[in-house]
Formats: sequence, structure tokens, C-alpha cells
Amino acid sequence: MKSKREIQKESTRQKIIDTAYRIYAMEGFSSSTARIAKEAGVSHGTVFAHFQSLNDLLECIIGEFQISLAAEFHDMAESSASISDFLDAHLKILIDHEDFYLRLITERSLLPEEVQYMYADNQSAIAHHFNLLMSREMKNGTVKEVPVHMLFNTWFGMIHYYLWNKDFFSPDEPVLARYAEELKHTFLSLIAK
Amino acid sequence: MKVCVACGMPMEKKTDFPGGDEQKDYCVYCARPDGTMRSFEEAKTGMTKFIMESQGFDEAAAEKIAVNSMKRLPAWKDQFSHE
Repeated sequence: MKSKREIQKESTRQKIIDTAYRIYAMEGFSSSTARIAKEAGVSHGTVFAHFQSLNDLLECIIGEFQISLAAEFHDMAESSASISDFLDAHLKILIDHEDFYLRLITERSLLPEEVQYMYADNQSAIAHHFNLLMSREMKNGTVKEVPVHMLFNTWFGMIHYYLWNKDFFSPDEPVLARYAEELKHTFLSLIAK
Repeated sequence: MKVCVACGMPMEKKTDFPGGDEQKDYCVYCARPDGTMRSFEEAKTGMTKFIMESQGFDEAAAEKIAVNSMKRLPAWKDQFSHE
């Protein structure tokens, strides 16, 4: 059983993670750790008692986001999942994390190299599942024979374009929830054989 | 849940394991046809090729991503211990 002190320690760590996630989503990754500490109601030193460095904190936050993504996708590559199911799952995660994800793709090149590789790893994991599904459907004759990487990049291209121009597409409400169906149906009809 | 020591893939189902052998610590993609785990070089080449094919990235960039990903995996710890 965990001691009271351990439970307390975990809860403080989680509070820092949750606060950092929220601040990064709202204000971007240049937000200071002092700002995060203040918002979380802990001392600045406490942040570094839980995370050795800023990189550590960033890796943890982005890692958590990616774990949720990976978990959602892992079961999807099974033969029962359709491409539509897969795109729905992808959109759902992005809808749940829209502000954070937009910051991540906008500021990605400014992040420490190690953190950027975490992002790249995650893209590879999504690409792996996407690839399995698309290859299966090409074999079944339901999807056009286009190089899989172009299908992958087209799907991401559509989503990122809407996110990057959110102020034009949907100034007053989250953009992905509003256009999710249209994006999915358009992509599906473009790739259908 | 097990995670592949060589590529980090979660292994939940029997089909995730080489030959369905759930005792293995590496996944079906990291196994050679004879069931043994592929070498560092084989894994690096395989991952680089996969990144290029699935995402269309440049070869040098894809290799950098593959190597950085391998740095975090237990199977290749000795390869990076000199760093």
C-alpha cells in the first residue's frame, strides 16, 4: 500500500502535469515553469523536485498526450476496424485536445530536439496503424492504389490546414468538432476506389 | 501489458508476438523470419524504411527519427552506452 506521503507526492506531480498541460495549451510552450508553479499553487522548486529539467516536464506532458493517442489506436488496426472508425478515433482525440495539439504542431520546431523526436515517434505509431488499414483496404479493392504516405499526408494536411486557420474557419468555437464529419467524408470519398 | 523492447510497440494480442509466442519480449515486426530478434542495424534500416514509406520523409531525417527512437528502448541500451 502506498504511504500517505507517496500519495501526496503523486498528487502534486499530477497537479503540475495537469496545470502545465493547460498553460501550454492556452499560452504555448514558451510559458515559464515559474508561471506553471504559480498556477498549480506549488513553489518553483517543487516543479524541479518532480521533474529534473524543463525538457523532462515537456517530455512528460507530450508523452502523456501520446500515450492516450497510442492507446486509442492500438486496437483499431484489427481487421474489424474500418477506415471510418480509425478516422473517427483520430478526430476524437484531436477534438479532446484541440488547443494543445494546435500548439504542438505550430511550435513543434521550437521545442527541444529530444521532445521533437517524441512527437515524431508518435507520428510513426499513427502511421503504422494507418498503413496497416490502408494496405488491407487496397488489397480488398476498396481504396485507390496511391502511395500510403500520400494518403497519410493528405489526411494530416486537411486537419492541420483547418487547425492553422481556425480563426477563419471557426472563430468562436472549436474548429475540428465543427468540421469533423465533412473532413472525414471528403477524405473517404477521395480515397474510395 | 508488455511493450516491445526493440520498437516500443504495445503487445496486447497473441498476433503482436512472433509466432504468437507471448514469452517473447519483442514484437512480430522486430523478429526475423526464424523468430530471433533482429540486430541493431537491421532494426535501424527497417525503421528508417518504414518511416520513409509510411510518411514520405527524407532518408536522413527518417534515420535520425529511427535512431532517436531506439535510444529510448531497452534492447539497444548497450549501443548508446558510450554516449
